[in-house]
Amino acid sequence: MTAAAAPALERRRPAFSLGRWLEREGVFSWLMVAPPVAFLVALVGYPFFYGIWISLQNRPVAQAGEFIGLDNFIHAWHDPIFRQVVLNTFVYTIAATLLKMVGGLGLALVMNQEFRFRNLTRALLLLPFIVPTVLSTIAWQWILDPAFSVINWLLVFTGIANPGPSWLGNPHLAMLSLIVVNTWRGLPFYAITLLAGLQTIPPELYEAATIDGASGWQRFRYVTLPLLKPVIFIVTMFSVIFTFADFQLIYVLTRGGPANATHVFATYAFDVAMGAGQFGQGAAIALSMVPPLALIILAMAIYMRPSKS
Amino acid sequence: MTVERRGWTMRALKLWLPLGVSLLFALFPFYWMAVTSLKSNQELYSRKVMPLVVHNPTLKHYVDLITETNFLEWTWNTFVVAVISTAISLLFGAMLAYPLARMRFAGATLVSFAIAATYLVPQPLLFVPLADLINRLGLGDTLTSVILTYPTLLIPFCAWLLLGYFRTVPVELEDAARIDGASRLQTLIKIVLPLCGPGFISAGIFAFTLAQNEFLYALIFLTTTEVRTVPVGAIAELVKGDVFYWGQLMAAALLGSIPVAIIYSFFVEHYVAGLTAGSVKG
Amino acid sequence: MMHESSFVPPYDAFFKNKLAAAYEKATGIKINYDVVSVGSLQTRVTTAAENGTGPDMTHIGFNWAFLFDEKFVDVSDIAGEIGKESGGWYDSAAEAVVVNGKWKAIPFGNIGQLMNWRTDWFKQAGYDKFPDTWDELLEAGIKLKKAGHPFGFELGHGFGDNHGWLYPLLWSYGAREVEADGKTIVIDSDETARAIDYCRRLYKETMVEDCLGWTDVNNNKAFLSEQISCTNNAESILWSAKKDFPDMAKVIDQSENPKGPKGRFHMLNPLCHAIFTHTQDQKAAKDFLRWLMKPEQAGAWYDVAVTYYQPFLHAYDDAPMWKVEPRNLPYRDALKTSHLPGWPAPLSRAQSETIAKFVVIDMFAKACAGKSTKEVIADAKGQLKQIYRQA
Repeated sequence: MTAAAAPALERRRPAFSLGRWLEREGVFSWLMVAPPVAFLVALVGYPFFYGIWISLQNRPVAQAGEFIGLDNFIHAWHDPIFRQVVLNTFVYTIAATLLKMVGGLGLALVMNQEFRFRNLTRALLLLPFIVPTVLSTIAWQWILDPAFSVINWLLVFTGIANPGPSWLGNPHLAMLSLIVVNTWRGLPFYAITLLAGLQTIPPELYEAATIDGASGWQRFRYVTLPLLKPVIFIVTMFSVIFTFADFQLIYVLTRGGPANATHVFATYAFDVAMGAGQFGQGAAIALSMVPPLALIILAMAIYMRPSKS
Repeated sequence: MTVERRGWTMRALKLWLPLGVSLLFALFPFYWMAVTSLKSNQELYSRKVMPLVVHNPTLKHYVDLITETNFLEWTWNTFVVAVISTAISLLFGAMLAYPLARMRFAGATLVSFAIAATYLVPQPLLFVPLADLINRLGLGDTLTSVILTYPTLLIPFCAWLLLGYFRTVPVELEDAARIDGASRLQTLIKIVLPLCGPGFISAGIFAFTLAQNEFLYALIFLTTTEVRTVPVGAIAELVKGDVFYWGQLMAAALLGSIPVAIIYSFFVEHYVAGLTAGSVKG
Repeated sequence: MMHESSFVPPYDAFFKNKLAAAYEKATGIKINYDVVSVGSLQTRVTTAAENGTGPDMTHIGFNWAFLFDEKFVDVSDIAGEIGKESGGWYDSAAEAVVVNGKWKAIPFGNIGQLMNWRTDWFKQAGYDKFPDTWDELLEAGIKLKKAGHPFGFELGHGFGDNHGWLYPLLWSYGAREVEADGKTIVIDSDETARAIDYCRRLYKETMVEDCLGWTDVNNNKAFLSEQISCTNNAESILWSAKKDFPDMAKVIDQSENPKGPKGRFHMLNPLCHAIFTHTQDQKAAKDFLRWLMKPEQAGAWYDVAVTYYQPFLHAYDDAPMWKVEPRNLPYRDALKTSHLPGWPAPLSRAQSETIAKFVVIDMFAKACAGKSTKEVIADAKGQLKQIYRQA
């Protein structure tokens, strides 16, 4: 209740203390943080816990669920396809991430030299990362077709093999092909990001190391690598998360074939939930990817922990 | 003389050779797309001609793509969706990142843990409940449905990138502004944000790329032609049964990536600078 | 109304421009025709059924009538009327949509799968007619592969072209996954073993290696690029050939699947229309389907697609569209021996799971990739047991 006699004064005072209150770190922080947190709780938290709830049910599509505890997880554990899916996902993620890491670092080092058209090259190299994945994957479907593949054409032309290898028909080659396509899409991002990291390393450090008689390898090992660690960690984490949960690429190229040789968590969960209409099982399969993913990331975090210089 | 030549050989070996191989690897599929999109169907399926060259180029697939499908509409939709969801993600990302970078407050650990946990939530687990939520809000088949759901994928990444960036702003600058009587919000807007431009650009481009590329949510939430985005539209209307309209698909891939490629070529410098400036020091 | 994007572009256009317009003119009700890409339809139907929103009517396939039983309106009444009006339904129509004695959808047409083959190359190898039995097919294939024209049958994780020949193969050797009671697993039989041994030989001795990784597009691509001389596919190959490769189209023919020791079989791939229970005005939806299936409308719609969708109604057995392309006639005849995967067991959830997990396909595929017949049957048996126990 404000007194009518001195409205201006009265109004300013509460406003002033409100301002003071707003300036408190805790209050200001929470006012900032609250809207996005609420947003994420509504659109990630709620569906996530709902998903967990579904995973504990026998929940066929278009029917009411029935609580069955951990049966879906036990079922998955005894499912031979599920075991293969776990193995495939790990092979796919680890191989693709390693390739991207090594290749990306190599490419970044190469591009860290002075040369003409560097900006243009950098923009061109990012193209695979930009183009919509479903569409670029369809292009790869031609490139990996034995009858049209340039590699096969070369092999046949030079007489090394005839017919050339079947890139998606052979279970091992199919996995390899997917890893290559994934690397193709992800490597540029890796390289460009690491390049940016390299450019923040002060040249004086290299000069000092050279004066101390360090070889090229030693400079890389003791100057570049430690300083680059945080960047490597971040891009690797992005990459692991995206590769582990990859869906589009595999779905378009093989849908998990031949004979499940390339099925991964996301594609299998999708097939079981959508194809078979078993939401409970599908949710359980999707949920099973959380602990291993969390473990990988935790392990990386510990390993890559910036060493105190 | 010999020294010079040796230098040149070394340079070729250390620079041009690996660079050339990488460019070939990165760009070959694009060459393939371009070639495919310019070939007539007869030539496309022919194994008798050398596949790497177009013998009778035709623009038919491009014309068909633009006149017979709603490709331009999809492109516009994709653009609208990507821009708005990127803006939301940047705003929310910054609102999360700044307090975490600068302030002490109760629950900070919990919030940062929650953001990290968001990365780990698998998309295949979310879409059934999300579809339910979207439909209850009456947003099925509207662009709003994806504009609202994409930020769930983007906010954590934006927050993370920006967090590192906010930390690079010297605290002294902020303290000085506060002593001059600026409120926290004023300090943030007038002092901190202008210094973090590159950070926003890189986070923004990253988010934009992911948003225009997203497939699963768009597939489930957008079913009418008019509201589709490029990836879903192309797949839905250029794949008929077991027959792919290869030429048009490849034309769509090329045309679809041009807008982003242009944005990248403008910002690539900032993008690169912003991507790591924060994280290296952070 | 939601529909999978048709392989035949005029088919979708005909509905949008002619049928919907005509109906709006006649009744004032506007029908939205919404096209969904192949393979995404089930995802869309699932979300619509789960959330009770979205389209009122939808195109369904396979055993979805059962899967979404509770979410679809009983349309037995109009199904009966339509059957009476148009010469009666094929038996296979009921197999696909009748759940607990009720019609849950109106079958529109079957997208059959047949043997597609090159008459010129078969002739060179000494065959004027398509081989009548699987054994003769193997013989022909061996000759053709030697001549540089191998076969290519999908053995990967596609939607249709894999099931289209592997189930008929299994059945024609007298093998089954499950008995008609829907409970007893009988995959572990000598018949299955013989079918697998045959399939392995057919793959190794007649096909290109790549088949194992194929999805539905690949055999079309391989056939049109003249890599293979024979595959199992729907009408789409002949269609594309007529459009883009008129010369090749002249030497393509389509035939029924070969016979096995226990007969000849085909895959049933029905396209049906169902009404969601969340539809506000169910009567209007029924009226529309009823109107759609009258000979004036349905007949015209079938005609546009020229037998790509083979009617389940006997009144169309001698429709003029069959004369447009006599090479499509075997599709009509195949309808009599067509069944859904899982046959002879009744519709069930287990069927869908078997399909989604590619149990039967991978049983054959693993054998082709080198595993022993015993092993792959044991794998399939284990999986089927788990699947059917749950359902």
